Amino acid sequence: MLKIKDLRVSYGKLKVLKGVNLEIKEGECLGVIGESGTGKTTLALSIMRLVDEDSSASLEGEIFFQEKNLMEMDEEMIRKIRWNSISIVFQNKEDALNPVHTILDQVKEPIMENGGESKKEATEKAIHLLSQVGLASRCIKAYPHQLSEGEKQRSLLAMALANDPEVLILDEPVSSLDTTSKADMITKIKRLSRGYSVLVVTHDISTVAKLTDRVAVLYGGRIVELASTPLLLSNPRHPYTRGLLRSYPNMTTTKDLQGMKGRMQPVEKGCPFYPRCTQVVDVCKRKNPELQKIGERFLACHRGGILPFLKVKNLTKYFDSFRAVDSVCLTLYEGETLGLVGESGAGKTTLAKSIMGLFHSEGEIYLEGEKVGERDKKFYKTVQMIFQNPRESLSHRLNVLEAVREPLDIYKIGSFRQRSQKVEQTLTEVELPSDEEFLDRYPHHLSGGEIQRVVIARALVLDPKLLIADEPTSFLDASIQAKIVRLLLNLQEKRGLGLLFITHDIALARKVSDRLVVMLKGKIVEEGPTPQILSSPSHPYTRNLLRVAPTLT
Amino acid sequence: MNLKRKITNYGIAFLIILSLNFLLPRLMPGTPLTAIYGEEVLVQMTPEFKASLIKRFALDEPLYKQFIFYIFSLFRGDLGYSYYQSGSVFQIILAHLPWTFLLVGFSLILSTIGGIILGIESGWRRGKITDKAILTGMMTLSGFPSFFMGIMLLLFFAVNLGLFPLQGARTPYADIYGIWLVLDVVKHFILPLAALVLVEVSGCYLLTRNTMIMTLRKSFILTAKAKGLPDKKVRYRHAGRNSLLPVVTRTGIKLGTAVTGALFIEIIFSYPGVGNLIYSSLLMRDYPVLQGTLLMVAIFVLAANFFVDLIYKKLDPRVQNAY
Ligand code: SF4
Repeated sequence: MLKIKDLRVSYGKLKVLKGVNLEIKEGECLGVIGESGTGKTTLALSIMRLVDEDSSASLEGEIFFQEKNLMEMDEEMIRKIRWNSISIVFQNKEDALNPVHTILDQVKEPIMENGGESKKEATEKAIHLLSQVGLASRCIKAYPHQLSEGEKQRSLLAMALANDPEVLILDEPVSSLDTTSKADMITKIKRLSRGYSVLVVTHDISTVAKLTDRVAVLYGGRIVELASTPLLLSNPRHPYTRGLLRSYPNMTTTKDLQGMKGRMQPVEKGCPFYPRCTQVVDVCKRKNPELQKIGERFLACHRGGILPFLKVKNLTKYFDSFRAVDSVCLTLYEGETLGLVGESGAGKTTLAKSIMGLFHSEGEIYLEGEKVGERDKKFYKTVQMIFQNPRESLSHRLNVLEAVREPLDIYKIGSFRQRSQKVEQTLTEVELPSDEEFLDRYPHHLSGGEIQRVVIARALVLDPKLLIADEPTSFLDASIQAKIVRLLLNLQEKRGLGLLFITHDIALARKVSDRLVVMLKGKIVEEGPTPQILSSPSHPYTRNLLRVAPTLT
Repeated sequence: MNLKRKITNYGIAFLIILSLNFLLPRLMPGTPLTAIYGEEVLVQMTPEFKASLIKRFALDEPLYKQFIFYIFSLFRGDLGYSYYQSGSVFQIILAHLPWTFLLVGFSLILSTIGGIILGIESGWRRGKITDKAILTGMMTLSGFPSFFMGIMLLLFFAVNLGLFPLQGARTPYADIYGIWLVLDVVKHFILPLAALVLVEVSGCYLLTRNTMIMTLRKSFILTAKAKGLPDKKVRYRHAGRNSLLPVVTRTGIKLGTAVTGALFIEIIFSYPGVGNLIYSSLLMRDYPVLQGTLLMVAIFVLAANFFVDLIYKKLDPRVQNAY
């Protein structure tokens, strides 16, 4: 129905859209998600050729509507397309409606302009539309300022439908509304937009979830990911999409809210997301990744989206004839938390230690796509582990400084001064003091929470990309546990740290994990996105775990 | 605010004006008669005439009776008596009023409509050559004081080219009727009218252009364009209509001073309007006439305000709630 090809829009020197390709199929509802400043409103206005109104704007590319290129049309032709074929529901902000004309007049206006209808017919049609969107009859002849936000937004919807367009564009159709009117509005849109080809442009993910069939994610003037809505929302593959979903408060996600590192900034060259990406490589800064079809989705990323960081294939570990770990397969993606849940004796720790190479095991392990043989220095610089009992993992003969510095000493990284600096920096990062007095303390002078932080600092001092945390908080009080967990999530946000979070406590796992793996008797019985496993567990064991999990009622 | 309250308010304002007009001469030092007519006139008066005047204003009665008397005579259209022009002040003002109305009324209408249209068109084409040309022209015009403009026009068109009469509102003692009379009046009235319009139009234009530019940035303009409306409708029905409000206020205020607005022009063209009347009464210190005119002006200002209020409501539905 509508095909956008390599659309580029800039205002003066500011490039807003940098080559957008999109297609709206007949009768489908396509969403475009983007935060403010990503160019989503520009996209909506470009389709109606309304950006031209800004004299500093320049437009390139092609927009085909029913095989006709809108970009080549003259002012008069485009005027006929507007509203009759493509109309838009503007966001109800400031004065989207003219303050000096009544609602009825404004809805009627395009109908009359279109010709064909008599004044009476136009009035009847407008009233019909307004009552369809549920506007009370007292509002119909009212002026915009006499209406509530919700009523105004509904009038805008009625207005957009006035000339039975083929394509309906909705620009932030509900973001000016409170939650109740929002839900109401979404139902109305859903009902009334049936049969139209719809483009919804918004920053509100739940609107997209409720309205759209497919969704495109816009960042820095480019589409970075495009997929069917359920797929994209449950399993985002672009680092930005994942970050966006993680930071969006909703009732589905159980993991704590997380942000993204840095902030949006214009990028001259390369991937628009690279300043904030935690898996950036050289080529990202040089070349912009094209949007490519990968499986059932389109993705623009040099590394094929979020990297499968650690892959375990058929890992099996025997203790004599007892199979402690039984052909386990799992994948941990860059910067995500994979929660490994199971009761004690399920083989969780054995699995972790096998990955670390502390046990000899069968099966294959891949790190960043490369097969891991002997665990060498490089491996341990990338993967670190923290153990259940922090007191046991710190030598009581080393003070804080020495304990945290030890890995650097072993790997002979940097000069002595640099090492000390690194230690101080890392201690600050785990929110510990780094003064002389503290550096000089021995483990028995530290509290449980402090020891665990020192252990984390020790693990982080080598800047690993993956941390295997085996029940890292089971020895701590709840209040300290909360802080340690928060700390780990913050580190994840900042460094893109991957976490294999091993716990017996599914209530805790749900707050930290993007995905969950449930282990029983050495086998993995269930794996998937956390919300999905929690809401519809398939294995009886998982259901049981959920049933006995702590609640407050 | 409802109409009743509004009318009451205007009524109160009106009463205050009346009282001031009544009190001021009576509060001045000396007898009220001196204050009303001035020393010199009084000296020339015969005692009988003086007595008749005292009786006329009821000056020998207590103040409240004087006031009642004053109000009553006002309603009878009695604004006093001009000794200089030997006639009732009311009659004198009435003789001048139509000319002023004619002149100021037309100039206000023309300059407002012209200013609005030019302002809308110019604001719409902001930055384009047409806009720049109009803007420059208007800026130049706005620099001219009205008397200067009047003199220029007079010198050029009347004195040099002899196209128009030099002064007056019609040819004196000419025995003409009907269409010829109208033509004669028009001929006399074109130059002062042109001078006034030229001076006034720039203010209205600049205001409209400014508001127009602000209005064009509003979102509803984008809505109107998106609706596929032709430019003209976007420009007038949506942008223009919303840019009208400050202009209406301005015109309303102008309307209030209509009676005195053309003072300089009337003097230059010896146009027999109220402005000229004020001028000559000032010269002769004809206080009763001055006082009467001032009262008239005050009433006009009030009426104009009332009128603007009413129109404003029609133009901007938000005003009803804005009080
Ligand atoms: S890996 Fe590179 S291309 Fe992919 S999102 Fe990160 S910076 Fe962009």
